[in-house]
Amino acid sequence: MKTLLFKPFEKYQEKQLLIVGIAATIMGVSLAHILGGRFDGALDFHLGNPVSIQQSLLDSSINIFCLISLLFLAAKYLNKKTRIIDLVTTVLIARIPLYFLPLLTIGGAVEKATNNLLKGIGPENIGNIQGNIPTESLMIIMVFVIASLLLLVWSIALMYNGYKIATNAKGNKPILIFVLALLLAEIMSKTLLFL
Amino acid sequence: MNKLPIQCPSCESPLVVSKLSCNQCDTEIAGNFTLPVLLQLPVEDQSFIFEFILSSGSLKKMALKMKKSYPTVRNKLDDIIEHINSLKIT
Repeated sequence: MKTLLFKPFEKYQEKQLLIVGIAATIMGVSLAHILGGRFDGALDFHLGNPVSIQQSLLDSSINIFCLISLLFLAAKYLNKKTRIIDLVTTVLIARIPLYFLPLLTIGGAVEKATNNLLKGIGPENIGNIQGNIPTESLMIIMVFVIASLLLLVWSIALMYNGYKIATNAKGNKPILIFVLALLLAEIMSKTLLFL
Repeated sequence: MNKLPIQCPSCESPLVVSKLSCNQCDTEIAGNFTLPVLLQLPVEDQSFIFEFILSSGSLKKMALKMKKSYPTVRNKLDDIIEHINSLKIT
């Protein structure tokens, strides 16, 4: 189970990983479009920003492209034998946890709680912020934040494990290069998406 | 059959062969023979190399046989190559 959830790249062949990854990407793009969210960055998901299916597809394509290219460059620097297909499957599979994020918004509870929070901390309530934020809204936002963080950590752990297997990396240097590649992918995707 | 020890249990230096014997006629040869590099590898690595040869050197076939992914098998081979190179240097 641990291998399936965190190290599928150790066991499963690239064809299987590629098929699952592409299917999950199609599902993630559709969910974001249907439920009104947006994957507007390599590691981002934002609520209440409904976009067309074409835009949703473009968002995910840019995110995936940035992650694959930056991680592939990093991997090639560490190990000349690295194959691009191993980074393609790594990125596609590692994004699966992020596709659960739109599901957390079903029912509109998170959006409603966010609006209540924003209303509560508005300039007109500056004198009594604590009394104007409903506890229920705070709890909903907290649960959403914790769940989102867990899914993000799962996604990054999957990405690191895939990158590690693709490069046969050992020691601390590959960790630093991975973090750098991830940050650059985030910056690159944000720039491309808002051009 | 007992596992061939390759390291001294006391000081962890590589062991050498000092006696060989023929089970048929009881002839014994004493000397100081270094173990071949392949025999200095752990049993797991020796089995991997054996399977690799039986798969005609195809890592893809090896991956399917071992139920592991291609990069996992390639990494294992790279680690063995690195180990052999370090043994050749020492």
